[in-house]
Amino acid sequence: MTSETNMTSETNETAPWEPKIIAFLCTWCSYAGADLAGVSRFQYPPNIRIVKVPCSGRVSENMILSALKSGADGILVSGCHPGDCHFISGNMFARRRFPLLSNLLEFVGIEPGRVSFSWVSASEGEQFAEIVKTVTERVKALGPATRLIKKIDQAA
Amino acid sequence: MPTINEKLTEEIRTQAKALLANGTVAAVIGYSRGSLPMTVKPTVVRTAEDCGKLVWNSFCVLNLANYLPEVLKSVEPPRGPRDPKPEGPLAKVAVLATGCWSRNIVVQTQEHQVDPERVVVMGVASRGMVSRRKVEEQFAGREILTVEELDHDLVVKGADFEEKINRWSLVRDNCQTCTHPDPVLVDVRIGEPASERKNPNPFQQVDEIEGKSSEERWAWFTSEFSTCIRCYACRNACPLCYCPTCFVDDAKPQWVGKSLDAVDTGLFHLLRAYHCAGRCTDCGACESVCPMGINMRMLTKKLNKDVLNLYGVEAGMQPGSPLPLTTYATNDPQKFIVTEAKAVKEGV
Amino acid sequence: MKVFRLSQTELDSMVQGWSQNRRVYRPAAGRQQSAQADCAPGWERVAGSSPLTVATGPSKTSVKTFLFPQPETMQTYTLKSSDPDKGLLKEPEKTTGKQIIVGLRPCDARSVKLNNLPFREDPFYQASLARTVMVGFTCNTMCATCFCDQMGGSPMGTEGLDIAISQVDGTMIAEVLTPAGEELIADLSLTPAEDSDINALAERRKDCPQADSAKLDALKSRDLNKLYGAPVWQALGESCINCGACTFNCPTCYCFDVQDEVVRGQGRRIRYWDSCMFPLYSLHTTGHNPRGQKMQRTRNRFMHKLKYFPDRYGPFSCVGCGRCVQDCPVNIDIREVIHDLLAVE
Repeated sequence: MTSETNMTSETNETAPWEPKIIAFLCTWCSYAGADLAGVSRFQYPPNIRIVKVPCSGRVSENMILSALKSGADGILVSGCHPGDCHFISGNMFARRRFPLLSNLLEFVGIEPGRVSFSWVSASEGEQFAEIVKTVTERVKALGPATRLIKKIDQAA
Repeated sequence: MPTINEKLTEEIRTQAKALLANGTVAAVIGYSRGSLPMTVKPTVVRTAEDCGKLVWNSFCVLNLANYLPEVLKSVEPPRGPRDPKPEGPLAKVAVLATGCWSRNIVVQTQEHQVDPERVVVMGVASRGMVSRRKVEEQFAGREILTVEELDHDLVVKGADFEEKINRWSLVRDNCQTCTHPDPVLVDVRIGEPASERKNPNPFQQVDEIEGKSSEERWAWFTSEFSTCIRCYACRNACPLCYCPTCFVDDAKPQWVGKSLDAVDTGLFHLLRAYHCAGRCTDCGACESVCPMGINMRMLTKKLNKDVLNLYGVEAGMQPGSPLPLTTYATNDPQKFIVTEAKAVKEGV
Repeated sequence: MKVFRLSQTELDSMVQGWSQNRRVYRPAAGRQQSAQADCAPGWERVAGSSPLTVATGPSKTSVKTFLFPQPETMQTYTLKSSDPDKGLLKEPEKTTGKQIIVGLRPCDARSVKLNNLPFREDPFYQASLARTVMVGFTCNTMCATCFCDQMGGSPMGTEGLDIAISQVDGTMIAEVLTPAGEELIADLSLTPAEDSDINALAERRKDCPQADSAKLDALKSRDLNKLYGAPVWQALGESCINCGACTFNCPTCYCFDVQDEVVRGQGRRIRYWDSCMFPLYSLHTTGHNPRGQKMQRTRNRFMHKLKYFPDRYGPFSCVGCGRCVQDCPVNIDIREVIHDLLAVE
């Protein structure tokens, strides 16, 4: 049995398209940064859906591809700046893995810009808002995701 | 005049026999004759008398390192999961290894799947293995009944034809681009060592795909993997795939669906390849065993290229150092990171 | 039974005629670069007017994919709260139109019959079977990997086929064997075969390799349960890498698993091919796996084909198409396995 994220809102089918971006934020830095952006009233596009993770090093390729498969238009993975990791080096390992994954996805024809990575510290509320803006604009420019999305055919 | 392979076979038999007879090893992993032309059967030999079964030829495409952890376990005295480790050194296992297979043994050692003290590597310099698929494609529509191997040619015979073809033209792509034919580990040398091959660009096939547009690459990916029947031969032939539960069998959450849905098949291949990042030695076993002839090696080759360019590492070449993805450097490249400065510069 | 003489052009136009208003499939020629969207890997839908030729030997993938699709949607449902039918399992809209499989070999046709034994009460298999018409080509040559004659079939066999097309001395002879086959040729004016053709065909059939009944009987009379612990299995299990290349390409492997897939509120219950080679196949929810070792799984495949299936249904669950021999990455050859089993004292 499987449970899948319900990514398409059930109503509002006619509203103009807005990208849905899954943001995997490290709880120690980027999530706190997002929090700070909130309390400091920095506006950023409401397109991101935040998934709080213990460390950017915890974000596996499975999660990223799973989000794409479920219909996410974009992915943002954000962690602590190198050197600031709560677990000393989790983000350093992540930094080694991420370019390999984004290059591989690009290699098979996923548009560059669907999957983004950033470093945001707990004090960088404004920067977080800026990054979300950039990422959202990028994904908007790409249009709705069409590749690697699982669809279920109701007819057999 | 015996051919190169006949000489190697003879040497393998003699050495294996000696290793088993003097008790150095409890088992030898090698190949025995197959029932069809261009096939060999991976075989574990446990007695000196059985060593006559062993053969060596250009069709040894499966990576024998794949069998190593299991055979090592099989020669240990049987014990329950909670019983203490037996005292004294455990029995050893000898394994035939070419360049890439030996690099896989290095990776297995780095990942603690194999105790290097217990492995006797019978190193054979690879002359490149022949792709059965390439031969069959050359004789499409005609049934091949025997294939005889000479030093530099293959003699292919059918019911009504006999042709001699240059061996190298039928060698697998990964062997043709290989630069390290000689094993990195050798305990017992079989045949002559080979020198490093020069290849100005081992990643040419990858570059060709990279040169295409995003649409073309997507079209290539979807078409290449569309014939997959999800038999997992590529996964099971790979010595790197030893997880007790593969991600495809995870149920909660289920990362990849089980049917022939194009997306699920694509995700399986992407994830399988990605899990080999920094570990793959391009032995080509995955591609050689695929019953549908899918070139899934392009994905791992692409990762190999990136790992080499970004971190300067080729899997299994430095036995003493950690695997590229289990370590890091403080100055690792991070151009791919979206920064706030970049955001400002792009004028958002 | 009606017997006709066919020329290649008549055959081509006949197949083309069928493809006008029905789905007609044929084995893909050579290595398939890319599977068709509406068709399983290894097969292609007949369209246009390319002449129909069938390569020697069985098709790359077996015909079971048309009767036991991978995957088969059993039920569909929605989980959208706005839908009044939320959570109701519904029967999917099934295509009921006839599908015609052209160019399968007698081994595959026989496998359909064999699979019908375990699936005789299975509504999905029966529905697929009812809408499938099989137009087969008998074999004049047996490949090195073929052994249908040793498994109770024959290269000239017609079991399971609706129309059997044979080449006898340069003449193409079509035997129409079932009402479904007759329906296909109802509107066509074909040349009835001469008596000499029918005789030649019967002669050819008599001459083709016959089942070695001594070997079959020897295997059948042997109590394979006593060989459960034979050392043969150990060596076999040691070489096997436990992939599913044999089971998925086997026409008579019919194991499946059932799963629910839900994407964005839309769900379907599917059954998809499973393989006894996979550890997950026999894994219990407790975590215990009765076939936890590689050797046990390899043994099970052969025991099922050669012992458990015949015990229950009669014939061996193998038609001798040789696909597993051809595709096995480690060259496990079922003929050698049988030979080894018979050789055990």
